[in-house]
Amino acid sequence: MCVGIPAKVVSVKDGTALVDASGARREVSAELLSSLDPGDYVMVHAGLAIAKITADDEAEAASVLSSIAPAEVNNGTED
Amino acid sequence: MEQKTDTRRALAAAREIVCTYRGPRLRIMEVCGTHTHEIFRLGVRALLPETIELISGPGCPVCVTPVSFIDEACYLARECGVTLCTFGDLVRVPGSSGSLADARSRGARVQVVYTPLDAVTYATDHPEEDVVFLSVGFETTTPASALAMKRASAQSLKNFSLLTANKTMDAAYLAMHESCDAYLYPGHVCAITGARVPRALTARGISGVVAGFTASELLTALAVIVKSAGHAPFFANCYPRVVTEDGSPAAQALLHTYFTPVDAEWRGLGVLPQSGLAVAPAYAQFDARVRYRIPPQEGRSNPACRCGDILRGACTPADCPLYGKTCTPEHPVGACMVSREGTCAAWYQYRGAAPASFS
Repeated sequence: MCVGIPAKVVSVKDGTALVDASGARREVSAELLSSLDPGDYVMVHAGLAIAKITADDEAEAASVLSSIAPAEVNNGTED
Repeated sequence: MEQKTDTRRALAAAREIVCTYRGPRLRIMEVCGTHTHEIFRLGVRALLPETIELISGPGCPVCVTPVSFIDEACYLARECGVTLCTFGDLVRVPGSSGSLADARSRGARVQVVYTPLDAVTYATDHPEEDVVFLSVGFETTTPASALAMKRASAQSLKNFSLLTANKTMDAAYLAMHESCDAYLYPGHVCAITGARVPRALTARGISGVVAGFTASELLTALAVIVKSAGHAPFFANCYPRVVTEDGSPAAQALLHTYFTPVDAEWRGLGVLPQSGLAVAPAYAQFDARVRYRIPPQEGRSNPACRCGDILRGACTPADCPLYGKTCTPEHPVGACMVSREGTCAAWYQYRGAAPASFS
């Protein structure tokens, strides 16, 4: 039950969003988010979109790591 | 292309930082059932040196819900004839004298729903039934229960109420911090509360990082802990694509309006002050305990079950005499084996070992 599911917004109407999670579509409440447009990504918990998100977790990882360990990141080797 | 190269280099560096850690023993506790499951599924444990220990803490709301809550639900179904709407995970959790599944086999009405909002819809469509939603969950799930009350109130629904066992994580952080050196804070709880809640814990000597759920995010979070450990208490938000400093003001306002903090019992941890959320007095018409005057339930669990110790990180599932013998996913004895996010269920599925998947 306590699993967040990232999903892409297909349409929004009257505080309800139709979202697509890896091909599975269902309506969720969008009442927590003030501005939501088709094409946005959201995190869904128990039928409620709790946050807008970006799709790119790897760019996030690079950004976080370079702020913590810039020397290692810049000198690291690629696999 | 350049960004991808940067990312690969960063993740290779993160893996190197984690895999080559040779400092003092580092105990890292995850307090999110999805983290527990994903760490196993992605093979993260197989990457870790012996100097890093991952402890699965009280991060599954079903697992920390006390037996007495199941007994209350069974009482409502048996003695009051209500229709119970519940998340599926709760159905097979053993109560003192059986689970909700057992109650259903004896004629109780138990409906599985995906969201509390579906329970409101069910109540609207079945005005002849009294409907009680079993409201468990942390900050991620509780706003949906608040919205359910908001909708029920707007519709003037008379046949809908909640039996609450909702909890807030900050009390657990304080209760468990001596069991670990750093937390992997639950990303989606922090999406609601904001990063400022765990950040404030550094003033009390508690360290940790907010972590996401993909391989990149988990590896990044672990690398940041390794790099930061051994110094002053630290905090980092390693999930900024979802978690902001202030979280969700709209969700916080819903919780504040429809719920009120109360002392709450956590399986394995006992009663933690002001760690629970009950229906606010202004909406008492939606409080099943008020409506049905449920008598206190004893809440007897199997004395051999070590779910409580496992939730405190005091032992692993392998140390429980029931694990894998009389307690399996098909026939769970303890709550940690029932929920897919439970520690015992994750151990059972992955057998405490998984292939490395970052190479």
